[in-house]
Formats: sequence, structure tokens, C-alpha cells
Amino acid sequence: MKSIVIGIHLQHEDVQAVAEAMPVGDLFASVFEVADDRPLGDRDLLVEVAAIRARLLDAATFIAVRYGFAVHDANELAAKCATMTDRWRAQLVAHRDEVEMTLKAAAATPPARPNRRDFASGAAYLRALHDATNAVNIDGAFRQGLERTLIPLATQHRWLRDSSSVELAMLVRRRDLESLRTAGESLRYAHPKMPFLLSGPWPLEVFADDHQQ
Amino acid sequence: MPDQELELTLLETLDHLLDRGVVIAGEATISIGNVDLLYLGLNIVLANMDAMKRTGRK
Repeated sequence: MKSIVIGIHLQHEDVQAVAEAMPVGDLFASVFEVADDRPLGDRDLLVEVAAIRARLLDAATFIAVRYGFAVHDANELAAKCATMTDRWRAQLVAHRDEVEMTLKAAAATPPARPNRRDFASGAAYLRALHDATNAVNIDGAFRQGLERTLIPLATQHRWLRDSSSVELAMLVRRRDLESLRTAGESLRYAHPKMPFLLSGPWPLEVFADDHQQ
Repeated sequence: MPDQELELTLLETLDHLLDRGVVIAGEATISIGNVDLLYLGLNIVLANMDAMKRTGRK
């Protein structure tokens, strides 16, 4: 059997009613045990893990582990996480009462991706790519609406961009979730032609992921 | 909940499951802009196609 690691939690009680808890230092990982030969890409398994993830978030805020990481026992988990537990503990304590919300919107005018052949050097090409990605933005009036209505309700926010869309990730106190959703609805009325998706609550994903930072 | 909204919610949930959160077991990516220059993976990480295209993982 192998255990799919779903999240990292501050307290045993945060996990026990929903999933199996595996100790990792003085923290706990929520895990879901499956047969060794069951592929991680199995559709039913993905849906099952997603459902457990949602129930765990109802219990308490946790750090999400990207799907696909599995261990065979607590020793293996502890060995692979040893260098990260101090940072995780600090994040879990700091954001105990917060969850993430995200808003995705299409870019207003996605800039053209630079062509490698137009550049003499690789460095110049990479700089152009960097500039093109940073230039991706959403409609100005919509962005102002976000800054006026949603962002004040977040304790932290971060803009994420790819070549065609912009995402606003927000850390929000649980007690402010309803106000945030209401603000999202008011944005929809104010900008009826602007397609966007406000989703969550999510566990700590963007704000606990060094890669994103 | 209308079917379309339900489908969107499921897609968004799976996108977060596959593309968000901390990565354990030694993965390092050094990037400039949207281009990953160096990827060092010590374990297999399952990612959705969009994430793979975006980061250029093979």
C-alpha cells in the first residue's frame, strides 16, 4: 500500500475525522491509502482525493501538497519533509484563520509571444519573454473594481500571470468569505461583459508554495 | 447548481489539486519569465497538461 499525501496540518484533530493522520515532525500529514499498483492518474481516485481535500478544509486551514506525492511510511515522509517543517509550522500558525480565494480573468489584449528567431542572443529572447509575460493584464476598469472591492477584504494578495490570463490570489479571513463573495457578485453586475471566475475557499496553496513566490 | 456551473467547479477543483500547493521530494525549477531554464526533479509529480505546457516539463 502507498499513502497519497494530501496536506500538512497543525493539529491531529484537524485531520482525524476526515482522513488518516501521519506524523511529520510535530505536524501531521493527511494521507489517503491506496494499493501500490493503483495509478495516481486514476480519475475516480482524483475525484475522491479532491473531495477529501474539501472536507479537510472545512475542519481547519492546512497547507496543500500538490497531487502526486505518495510515501510508504512515516519515516519516508519525515525524511523528505525534514527541512520544511519549521517553515510550514510558522505558516500554519500565521494563517490558521485564513483561506485562499482566487479570481481568474482573461487578459485584455494578450501580447504576442516573442519568436526566438528574431533575437540574436538567448538572453535578449528571455528578457523579451519576461517583458511579454509581465505585460499581460486585465481590463483597467475591471482591475480598479478588484482593487476597490475585493483586495481590501484580503489580508494578502498576489497577481499571477500566464500568456493569456491573469489570476488574483487572495488570502482571506474565514469570517470575511461571505463579504468577498458578495463583492464578487457586485463586480459581476458592474462588469457584465467581463468573464471571470471567483473560486474557493482553497487551502494554503499559492501562499505556501515557494515556487509561486 | 446548473450543469455548466457544476462542471466548471469540478474542473477548477481538479486544476487546484494538480497544479497548486507545495511540492515535496526535491523539485527545483530555475526560471526567467515564463521559461524554465533548469528543472531538477527527484520524484515524479503528476501535473495537468496545461501546467506541463506552461512549465515545459517532460
